[in-house]
Amino acid sequence: MSDAHAYPHEPTGVETRKLGFWVFLSTEILFFGTLITTFLIFKGRDFPGIKLTDVYDIPFTSVSSFVLLMSSLTMVLAHNALETNDQEKTRVWLLATAMLGAVFLAGQIYEFTEFYHKGFELSTNIFSSTFYVLTGFHGLHVFIGVVLLLALWGIGQRQKGLSLNEGMNLEFIALYWHFVDIVWIVLFTVVYLI
Amino acid sequence: MTKIIEPKKQRNIFSRPSSEEGVWSWITTVDHKRIGIMYGYAAFFFLLVGGLEALLLRIQLSQPDNNFLSAAEYNAMFTMHGTTMIFLAIMPISAAFFNYLLPLQIGARDVAFPRLNALSFWIFIAGGLFLYSTFLFGTAGAPEGGYLAEEVSRLASAPNGGWFGYQPNAGLKYSPGTAMDYWAIGLQILGIASLVSAFNFITTILNMRTKGMRLMRMPVFTWMTFAVSFLLAFSLPIIAIALFFVTFDRQFGTTFFLTEGGGDPVLWQHLFWLFGHPEVYILILPAFGIVSEVLPTFSRKPLFGYPAIVFAGFGIAFIGFGVWAHHMFASAISPVAQAGFGLSTMIIAVPTGVKIFNWLGTIWGGRLTLNTPMLFALGFIGMFVIGGLSGVTHSVVPADTQQTDTYYIVAHFHYVLFGGALFGIFSGLYFWFPKVWGRMYNETMGKIHFWLMIIGFNLTFGPMHWLGLQGQVRRTWVYAEETNLGFWNLIVTIGAFILAIATLVFMANWIYSRRKGEVAPFDPWDARTIEWSIPSPTPVWNFSNAPEVKSLDDFWHQKYGEDEDGRAVRREGTDELLLQLEEEGLNPKEEIHLPSPSYFPVVMAFGLPFLGYAIIYKSIPLALIGVIMLLIGGFGWGTEPLEEEFESSEEEPESGESKNYE
Amino acid sequence: MSETHKEHPSPTKYVQIAIVLAILTAIEVALYYTEDIVGALAPPLLIILAVGKFVIVVGWFMHLRYENSLVNKFFAGGMILALILFAIVMIERAVGNFF
Repeated sequence: MSDAHAYPHEPTGVETRKLGFWVFLSTEILFFGTLITTFLIFKGRDFPGIKLTDVYDIPFTSVSSFVLLMSSLTMVLAHNALETNDQEKTRVWLLATAMLGAVFLAGQIYEFTEFYHKGFELSTNIFSSTFYVLTGFHGLHVFIGVVLLLALWGIGQRQKGLSLNEGMNLEFIALYWHFVDIVWIVLFTVVYLI
Repeated sequence: MTKIIEPKKQRNIFSRPSSEEGVWSWITTVDHKRIGIMYGYAAFFFLLVGGLEALLLRIQLSQPDNNFLSAAEYNAMFTMHGTTMIFLAIMPISAAFFNYLLPLQIGARDVAFPRLNALSFWIFIAGGLFLYSTFLFGTAGAPEGGYLAEEVSRLASAPNGGWFGYQPNAGLKYSPGTAMDYWAIGLQILGIASLVSAFNFITTILNMRTKGMRLMRMPVFTWMTFAVSFLLAFSLPIIAIALFFVTFDRQFGTTFFLTEGGGDPVLWQHLFWLFGHPEVYILILPAFGIVSEVLPTFSRKPLFGYPAIVFAGFGIAFIGFGVWAHHMFASAISPVAQAGFGLSTMIIAVPTGVKIFNWLGTIWGGRLTLNTPMLFALGFIGMFVIGGLSGVTHSVVPADTQQTDTYYIVAHFHYVLFGGALFGIFSGLYFWFPKVWGRMYNETMGKIHFWLMIIGFNLTFGPMHWLGLQGQVRRTWVYAEETNLGFWNLIVTIGAFILAIATLVFMANWIYSRRKGEVAPFDPWDARTIEWSIPSPTPVWNFSNAPEVKSLDDFWHQKYGEDEDGRAVRREGTDELLLQLEEEGLNPKEEIHLPSPSYFPVVMAFGLPFLGYAIIYKSIPLALIGVIMLLIGGFGWGTEPLEEEFESSEEEPESGESKNYE
Repeated sequence: MSETHKEHPSPTKYVQIAIVLAILTAIEVALYYTEDIVGALAPPLLIILAVGKFVIVVGWFMHLRYENSLVNKFFAGGMILALILFAIVMIERAVGNFF
């Protein structure tokens, strides 16, 4: 915009939308913090019935964790490809990230159904409730991420390239995606391993 | 004249709204001023509703053993009164001030994310309507064998578990029916609205400041907005998750807060007050900001100790996160926590006290103009000090356990939130009336309003102190004749009706002055901050040129210099300067591109209540409607540029084509 | 925006980082299976590993290392606030009922 220069912007030196997005991510910490706190409080308590340790499958979850971790790599490669203006590669890596995310989601759905069949249901006991709400809330984040990635990939595919504006969107989706990944890094340790 | 260029139409899901007048222009607006005005009117409407509910409560309590309201109705009324006043009245009125003033005070053309701003507003409306739809669709049954097992009227078919929703009382067993679900999900939706606006305001303040507007040159009101936004951003997620748990408990059979399933009701109290106490400062800090603008203007002195007042504001915001358990001294918390939170409650009085002394220092030796905004600001100081002092008494744990759940507490927080927040808000409403409408309010009626209000206020809430200390219990619909509480309760009720009359005077003044008030002169108050350096009512484009700020209270220093004794002396040529500013403000030299209106925020916002109903009634079609509205809104939003392409800007490359990144 | 982007790492570097992350994950899983041998050391080690992975992803993949300090402050502020508040709540809910 020609007159945008007359109006000064961004005294902080951080692009406005990016700044807003980081504020959003900072508050996401509190969302997951509350969930994890609740989980830990109930983890230390006695509760009747079946426990997570009776039903879970560590090798399986390790693999799906690994898949999500690697999707962060493909995401960062997509971002990198865009920075070097390699539109073709950007789209490939975007799609790869979305697919890896979808694999993780499929794994989570499989895991949930398995647990359900073994009698570990949402209202079985306080532990199962917190488990499902916590991991489900994370799963919802992954799902939203996959939708966003696919939408961006679709736009890129149709236009044979991403515009400057959409490139910024890619950066936000990347930040969001990595954030979802670090949440899982914490959850994998807190929920499954310890 | 002005050159606002007609946008070129672009294809999207809906064609871009283009009307500039009429209902649709307001519904689709992204202009922070219009959004601010709508926030104000909507919040005032809810303030009236909440006030009406309070009057019903007071009629019931006006004499012992009254049966004007049933117990069930009383429960619903006090719950809705609290919820309405906090989430639907005071918070959004503050948001109205933020919206209207923040960009003006930092010299910006709009907020950082104008459409997000519209989204916040419409989510607030959607949430408010959703919450109040409980009177139409909600049901509040009676727990089995409970004393509420009488026929439940429509009036009682509202949330009845208190605005704090303590568990397990607000759980399915003791609050059957759907009313408390409306409450939980309604607050969830309202929370999203505030959260989104918090991101917006933080980013706006950091990144939209005009040239020379360093942080330490920002008006105090802007600073307080900043602090409030942080409080919102970091406290609302906690309550959001807690409300999530409540909804799961009530809808899907989990037991997060119910002991019978191994859950933890005290955890709800922690999570609720982790949000709830910052919330108190969310309500009061905007009023601090307003008063810090009004007092210097009408004392004709700079604000005493500007840095102190700014840091005290942030001190309050920060310590405000560390005092939540003082709401829980009567709950299961450890002695260490009791001591610790007692201490932190005393400590938070220090920055608050700093502010009070700063305000007193500001008016000390000033040439005071006692008009309505100033009277309300002074009333604010007085009433807030009373509320603050009774607040400190709660930090003494043994005393607090006696006061818990009595009218003493009710007296305390009404002195803080009514005598504090609302007086500050009224002060601001009068102060910025000429800015918003370009007309003056009626001073006589304003003064009548103030005096009725301060008398009515003290009659209403003053006696509650000793009623509480005599043992009258909160949230209880009757008291016995033998308690001898009848006399003062009658006085309280009379006071409440005086407040109602005062509010009518205010409304009459507002409606009359909006149409027939004197036309406001440029800079009617000889004010200090740059929002007064532009014409009133504010032009759509705010500032014709980006102003350059050279000092704190920049507008004042443009008008006034100092003599040898440090007294303010009006510069020569100030009158010409004002004329010139008015002329420039009305006639921008360059083309001004404003963000274009959009349908999508409204579409998205009204998707949320459908999701709410879908959860309550387990209805897939409703959920689908909600999701589709969110998707249409989100997709349309994402593919719609903030500003339409303009015919004249041909040197700009067309958007939509692929461009190099960076 | 380019001022805030001080040279981001190259793709090779990213792959190397990902390999480190993968190795850390492998160690985590291995620790889980050898909990009988490692004993009480396992939980703290697991937490340290998780924090390590967290920092690597935030620092390199999210480019926080290369970001303006303001952004760092926001993120760190949110983390610290959450840790303090929730530590108090957890301690309180562990001991509060006994008084």
